[in-house]
Amino acid sequence: MIYEVRALIVAHIEHPGAQHVMRLHAPEIAHQAQPGQFIHIQVAAPGRLRRPVSLMLADPETGHIDILFKVVGEGTRLLAQKQQGEHLQLCGPIGTPFDLETLVKGRVACVGGGVGIPPMIFAADRLKAMGGDVLLFAGSEQPFPFALQPSTFMLPGISPQVHMTIRSLEERDIPCRLSSNNPELPGCYHGYVPTMLEDWLQAVPAPQRQNISLIACGPHPMLQAVAACGERHGLNTWVSLEEYMACGIGGCAGCVVKTNEHDGEHYRRVCVDGPVFDARSVCW
Amino acid sequence: MPDLAVNFAGLRLQTPLVMLSGCVGFGEEYPRLEGFDYRDIGAVILKGTTLEPRLGNAPHRLYETPSGMLNAIGLQNPGARHVVDHILPRLPHEQTQFWANANGTSPEEYAEVARIFDDSPVTAIEINISCPNVKEGGVHFGNDPVMAAKVVEAMRPATRKPLITKLSPNNADIVSTARRCFEAGSDGFSVINTLVGMAVDLERRQPVLANISGGLSGPAIKPVALWKLFQLRQLCQQHDIPVLGQGGICNAHDALEFALVGATALGIGTGLFYDPLMSGSIVQGLKDYLQQHGIAAYEELVGSLQA
Repeated sequence: MIYEVRALIVAHIEHPGAQHVMRLHAPEIAHQAQPGQFIHIQVAAPGRLRRPVSLMLADPETGHIDILFKVVGEGTRLLAQKQQGEHLQLCGPIGTPFDLETLVKGRVACVGGGVGIPPMIFAADRLKAMGGDVLLFAGSEQPFPFALQPSTFMLPGISPQVHMTIRSLEERDIPCRLSSNNPELPGCYHGYVPTMLEDWLQAVPAPQRQNISLIACGPHPMLQAVAACGERHGLNTWVSLEEYMACGIGGCAGCVVKTNEHDGEHYRRVCVDGPVFDARSVCW
Repeated sequence: MPDLAVNFAGLRLQTPLVMLSGCVGFGEEYPRLEGFDYRDIGAVILKGTTLEPRLGNAPHRLYETPSGMLNAIGLQNPGARHVVDHILPRLPHEQTQFWANANGTSPEEYAEVARIFDDSPVTAIEINISCPNVKEGGVHFGNDPVMAAKVVEAMRPATRKPLITKLSPNNADIVSTARRCFEAGSDGFSVINTLVGMAVDLERRQPVLANISGGLSGPAIKPVALWKLFQLRQLCQQHDIPVLGQGGICNAHDALEFALVGATALGIGTGLFYDPLMSGSIVQGLKDYLQQHGIAAYEELVGSLQA
């Protein structure tokens, strides 16, 4: 079931790089949301398309959902103007989520880039709660909009100088490493996140490596590189895609991605057939 | 309580609201939204359907524009046979009625699609001779009164169901096309389909849409839609032809404007993308207006514009 709600903005924090973290009170959505799903937010009075924003956290106990977005255009600029105490009209949760029940049977490497990091944090958190073996690689060219600290976990193939992690993940015993080409971010891997993933995978002994699945969300070139990495190592890989979206409910078939499946090529809707797709089915 | 039911080409619609083709998939999506109720809806027009399955256009397929959007979906559909055999049996026909939207690249294909839907639970067939996003057929038929009439003529013997011709605003003389289509057997009109437009990506120095051009919809086209509807008033009143008015309806005020100009039924499409539960509030707004003005039934309001 998809809920149309008027959600209170409980908190709104702006971070460097025009990044915004919002906490919303939306109990129906918080109760049902799964990692990979998104909400569709009315950013202005009717007359503007809604904007899809993926979920970073959904807490059924408090009824809170967290989102992270970056101002990239007019829609996100309008969204960024909303203040704590105001309400947002939105609907959700929408979309086919990551299949955590299957993923939790093996080890999962989550790979996030920029505003694609939130669903990876959500997935890692849920997988950990299910008793899963999960770790996270996150890349950004902007300062990370999270509290950071040095990690106590060692990861094979990753230099000890690359030690910075996200505090909330460290506290949940989820190993994580950050990458950036921004020289002002200390303790981060200098380069792109798929390269860091590749370094780590090569250092994992082959028998253990076969047990790993990759899940990823981020810019298209990053996802393509993660998909190629999964292909090279023969790993199951799932990617969360985005495309210009209108209805957000599967009605208009505007937000499609081309896939190649057993019965030929299709255009699948990102909003409801995705946003999570098997990387091997995507026509990159 | 004012009566919202309308008679449209011999069909009784429980409200004048019609969910428009291309905006509501094959009727299965909106009921997944809590609070959505098909009993607010007079009819749902299924996504444009061709004889054979169509993959549709490459992305990007849509782009937001001021007070509207461009789309170029390209009639992605699984083919008429699949729709009739596999989708129609799943729809809640007891809650509202479903209409087909027929497309083709030749009059013969349109007729074949009509024949397939004739033996199905759809209660009417909309003829899409105005889709701007396909290379053959579509708007190329709609812009030519003779070709448009040929399509209607070919479909007429293929079905006993009402045929509703969707007229293009990209046509210099919409009245001539409408008259030819009426004479060829069209029972009603949909006015209007989208206006052809384009958008440019400055970074890539390319058109935003893979199809280059797309159909403009939303509040931006409402004044054009009202004017085209107005132009058809005389013809439609003279022959008692019902019109499904559409083009940027987002609230009861918009809907009432179309009603006054002459729309028996009111199409909602792009507005649903802004507010997926708008049908409930429009129905309430129509009732409120009728009550406040002491009008017993919506049908009394239709075409009552003083001009």
